[in-house]
Formats: sequence, structure tokens, C-alpha cells
Amino acid sequence: MIMTSWWLAWKDLLIIIRDKKALLTLIAMPLLLIAILGSAFGDMMDGEEDVTIKKFTLGIVNLDQGQLGGVLSEEVFEKDLSDQMKVKYYQEEEMVEKIKDHKLDVGIVINEDFTASLMAGEQAHAKLISVPDPGIKATIVSSVIEQFAQTVPIEAMLANKALPVQGNASSEERSQNLLNETSIDANSNPVSSFQYYAAAMGVMFLLMTVVQGVSAMILEKEQVVFKRLLISNLTYINYLTGKMVGLILISLLQAFVIIIGTKLIFGVDWGDSISGVVIMTAAFVISACGLGVMAGSIIKTEKAFNAAGMLGTQIFAALGGSMVPLYIFPDWFVSVSKLLPNGLALQTYLDLMSGASFFEIIPAVLGSVGLGLLFFAIGLFRLSIERRGKYA
Amino acid sequence: MNILNVQELGKSFGKFEAVKGVSFSVEKGESFSLLGPNGAGKSTTINMITGLYPPTSGSIQITGVDVIKNPKQAQKSIGVVPQEIALYETLSARENLKFWGRMYDLSGNALEKVVDEVLEIIGLTDRAKDKVSTFSGGMKRRVNIGAAILHKPEVLIMDEPTVGIDPQSRNHILETVKRLNNEGMTIIYTSHYMEEVEYLCERIGIIDHGELIACGTLRELRESIGDRSRIIISLDNEGSHHLEISSLLEGLAVEKDILIKDKLLTVFHKEPQAILSELIQLVTKDGTKITSVEIVEPNLESVFLHLTGRSLRN
Repeated sequence: MIMTSWWLAWKDLLIIIRDKKALLTLIAMPLLLIAILGSAFGDMMDGEEDVTIKKFTLGIVNLDQGQLGGVLSEEVFEKDLSDQMKVKYYQEEEMVEKIKDHKLDVGIVINEDFTASLMAGEQAHAKLISVPDPGIKATIVSSVIEQFAQTVPIEAMLANKALPVQGNASSEERSQNLLNETSIDANSNPVSSFQYYAAAMGVMFLLMTVVQGVSAMILEKEQVVFKRLLISNLTYINYLTGKMVGLILISLLQAFVIIIGTKLIFGVDWGDSISGVVIMTAAFVISACGLGVMAGSIIKTEKAFNAAGMLGTQIFAALGGSMVPLYIFPDWFVSVSKLLPNGLALQTYLDLMSGASFFEIIPAVLGSVGLGLLFFAIGLFRLSIERRGKYA
Repeated sequence: MNILNVQELGKSFGKFEAVKGVSFSVEKGESFSLLGPNGAGKSTTINMITGLYPPTSGSIQITGVDVIKNPKQAQKSIGVVPQEIALYETLSARENLKFWGRMYDLSGNALEKVVDEVLEIIGLTDRAKDKVSTFSGGMKRRVNIGAAILHKPEVLIMDEPTVGIDPQSRNHILETVKRLNNEGMTIIYTSHYMEEVEYLCERIGIIDHGELIACGTLRELRESIGDRSRIIISLDNEGSHHLEISSLLEGLAVEKDILIKDKLLTVFHKEPQAILSELIQLVTKDGTKITSVEIVEPNLESVFLHLTGRSLRN
């Protein structure tokens, strides 16, 4: 009985492969659009913004038990440099995550003994955390801290002779040892426009392919071949499984053409984890096809589906970040867009492009597959209810 | 032995009663026809027999299996040729047959062998590799039949399989059905072409407005109207003289044997030649002109007309 599902899927694949127009849309269109958009918005995400000093957010973890940590954070960074940066306070783990996720470029951790050590002329009182090659932002922050380390203890001594002076290190030595700079390896490179649009358009075209496939499924349901299928040994679960498998095969074919095509033709770097890209692609295809099959089970006429399908694809694409880069949206929006199969897939591809490992994307993969199976189950339930009402 | 038993079958769509208490049975190896005009309820009855629609009332058994309780099991012993072409146009004839064979769990050499056999039966061996989209309507209908017999069903249900095709293809299809029946396959054939039904079927059920109004062999049905021929007279005007003509003809035939519709006067009679001249005289008595006269031997059309007052093809 499982084989009947497979042959149904094989038949769908054969029909698509025979349709030259559909095949062209499936393969050539995504590559063409990626080339156009990647070139058109080439300057948008090339890291060029690092050349000019724009206002940026500095994350601070202030653990200092003395006063100087507060002075550095509140007086220097927050007030004096308010035109250059916005200060946000975090717990250390939270800040590291933000930097990993590219939501924060630079952060500092001011140690518990910052004031005491600084006054005593000891080493390593603050930790600068950034992505590798963070540009001028890290330089500004480190310069400010060094300047602060050189001048504040002297000013403090002059202002308050009661402050004890311990140790005999020179101010130059102090500044050299003050910063323990750490870069986070997780996110290697910022994502380029070509990378972004390769992933974004790929995800969008996959949605469109699913819509086309589901449209064909609904058309088949309206035709007499569906009745003939129902009279054969094919059960409803066989039918829906066959449709799902067919859609998955077609979508996977398209996905890997897009990934390999953009890699070979445009040199798009999909990240170091090939297994991650493969497994995420499979997971996304399962979730998108599950969604499609569910829609195909609910919507009764091809006409109605075509209208809803195209509109739905556009809405999903827009909310999922395929049209406008997600970077420009607030964090909450980016998080919410992960609830959409395409939003989750796009953000996971971007993570992979930024250097995320296979293991880091496993939650996203499981989420996608879970969504797909849930959609499939709803579709099956819907179809079985329809059968009970309409058929013997 | 009955291979199909239909008892008090009814189907309603909302307030519309499409099938009303239909009962009949078909013996193994028999060829049975459901004859009726378009919209009579034939396809709805077939859809219930094949397990596609649940009946509102009644019961159906195929090879002893309750279709309502076990549709999948019952479907294993039937092949269905739907009224429309149920094929994939972009696949070849062979690919279509292989696909439908696989839907009945056929595979490997057995599948290849049966596909070759079926291609030979439907006369399309030399066009097996061509896409169905390149076929004529008649050839598509032949593949449509082929797809229904791959799993060698005990009962072949054909719903108007010759609609809209050329005479040559129709003949080929009728010959194929005859051959399958001769080889022991039970045939259930719906049509509104009485000549096909007369040629193919041993027993006939006449269905109209969802009711089975007559059922029997061709001879039994003819006898039900007294084996009377039809005299069909075309008049040059309609309506105005109907009542007068009916009253004039009272001496020649009873009222129920006289039908006047539009410009056609139909009279049923056992000896048409004997009353023809008198009939013409009576009709033309008041100046009504006759444009043609035809005598038709008793056939299914006569039976249907007599039972319903309407033509099969209306």
C-alpha cells in the first residue's frame, strides 16, 4: 500500500518534468531573480556602514563593586557619548547571545574589581566582546576605556586624596592590560546581499512551487481522475502521503538547484555546514509542503486556491523576510516571523551563512519538521471528515 | 448467482431526490444496462454502487460484500469506466495504464504483461508510447476502458462510455465490451443510446426521474407495451388541433397509446399497416397537413416513450 503513495508521487514528478514551462519556472526563474536582486541591492549589506560612524548600541554588563564602573557606564558611555552610541545593560550570557545573533556589535563586561584593580594598577579589569572584525565600533569603545583608565584614577586621586593608591604600575602599562578583548567565533562574517537574497528568494520560490503543486492537487480533486483514484486501492492516507511526497521531491529538486546554482554561478557562500544546509532545506520543504497539503485539503476549488495561494505566498514572503531584509525590523518582529515556515527557514539559512553549526540549527530543524507533520495531520483529518460526509 | 444486489437504493441532495428506491440485481457473467435520459439518476446510482457516494437509504452488495460498510473491499472486484476521460494527458497510453495498474497494487512483470494485453484489447499497441493528449476522443475512451480492466475485475461498470465519439471508435468499444462479457466479465452499462443497449445487454433497467420504471429482457420490455409498433406522423402545425385529433382517433387506439407533442403525433398499435390509411384520413380531415409518416418497429425507445411520454434523448 505504501508503494501506491510512491507511484502517485512519481506520477506527479513525471508530469512536472514533462512540462517544459513549469520546469523553466521551477529552475531558471529563481536563479534569474536572485541575480537581479543580489546585484540591485548589492550595497545594502556589504558592511559598508562600518566606514561611517553611525550611532550604535553598546551592551554593558557592569559587575563592578566600586564606583568607577558606574562612572564609565553612565557618565562616559551613556551621557558623554550619547551622540555616538546607545547603552543597554544586560546579564553577561544575554549579551553574548545578542552579539552572536548580530543584534549587538560590541559589548563590555566590567569586572567586579574594576575600581579596586584600576586604583591598584592591576591587570584585566574589563572584557570587550565583539564579533570578529567589528569595525570602528570596537575601536571607539576600547579607546574610550583606555582613555578612562589613564585619566580617571589620577583625577580621582586629585579630587579625593582619601582614595588609596596601591601598586606602582605606570598609566601606560595599566591601559595596555586593562582590556581583555574577546571575539565570538559563532558568527563569522556578516551576510552579503547576494547571500541574503539567495536564501530569501530561494525560500520564496519554494513556497511558490508548493502553491503550484497544491493548485494541481486541487485541480485533480475537481476532476474525474480523483474519483478513479478513490475507487482504486488507494486510501485517503495513501493519497495525501503521495501528494506530500511528490511535492517534497519537486521542492527538494528546486531547492538544491537554487543552492548549488547560486554557489556555482554567483559564488554564494551558504556556510560551512553542508549537512546543516541539507537538513534545514529538507525540514523547510517538509513544513512548506505540509502547509500546502493542508491548504489543498481544505480549499475545494482551484480558482479559489489560486487567488488565496498567490496572496498568501506574498504575505508569507513579506512577513518572512523574503522581500525586505529582516535586519530593518525590530527584534520582536523577527522572532514572530520565525513562526512562519519560510521565516524560520530564512533565519536559519542566515545563521548557517554566518557560521552556525549543524547542532545549533537542530531546534529550527525540529520545529520545521514538527510544523510540517502537524499541518499534514490536520489535512488528513480534514479530508477524512470530508470523506465521511460525502463518500461511503 | 447474483454478483450485484441493489435494494431500495435512495439518494437525496438536500431536498432533491436524485434516486428513489431503486432495486435490481445482476447475475454473474450477465450484461445489464441502466437506460435513461440525461439527468435520470443513472450516474448517481453508479456512484453509489462504486462506493463514491453513500446512499441516503437502501443497500448494495457486490460479490457478497456490503459496499456501504466495506467500500474498499467491494471496490477490489469492480472496474469503473467513468463518463469523462479519467487519464493523465501528458503521460503516454502505456504510462497511464502502468500508473492505474500500480494503483491496484500490480507491479513488475505481471504489470508489464497485463499492460501489453490491455493495449492489445483496446487496439492501441502501436500507439502505446504516444501521449494521450495526441489521441482522438475515441482513442482516449479506449484507454479509459483499458485503465478499468487492468486488475481483471469481476464486474465492469461503464457509465456512458461512448459519449461524443466517432462511429468507428464506438464500434470498437462495443466490440471490446462484448468480448469482455463473452470472456465472463459481468458488465453494467449505462447509456441513453438504446441501440448500444439493445446490442450489448441481456437485461435492461429503465430509469427516469430517479425511479426504475421497468426492468427485464428486451423481449419482456417489448411485451410490456404489447409489442406495438409506433406510427409517427409529422404535422405542419402544432398545438391547436391536439384535442380534436385525440378525440378523432379514439376509435383507432386507446387514449394512452396516443401521444401528441410539438408537431409529432405518435400512435402505438400492433398492426400499424391496418390502421394507417384511416389514421391519415382522420388527421387530415380538418385540413391539417402531414409532412411525413414513419412506422417504427417496437424497440426500447418505444418502451421508454410509452412509459414516460418522453423521448430518451430529450
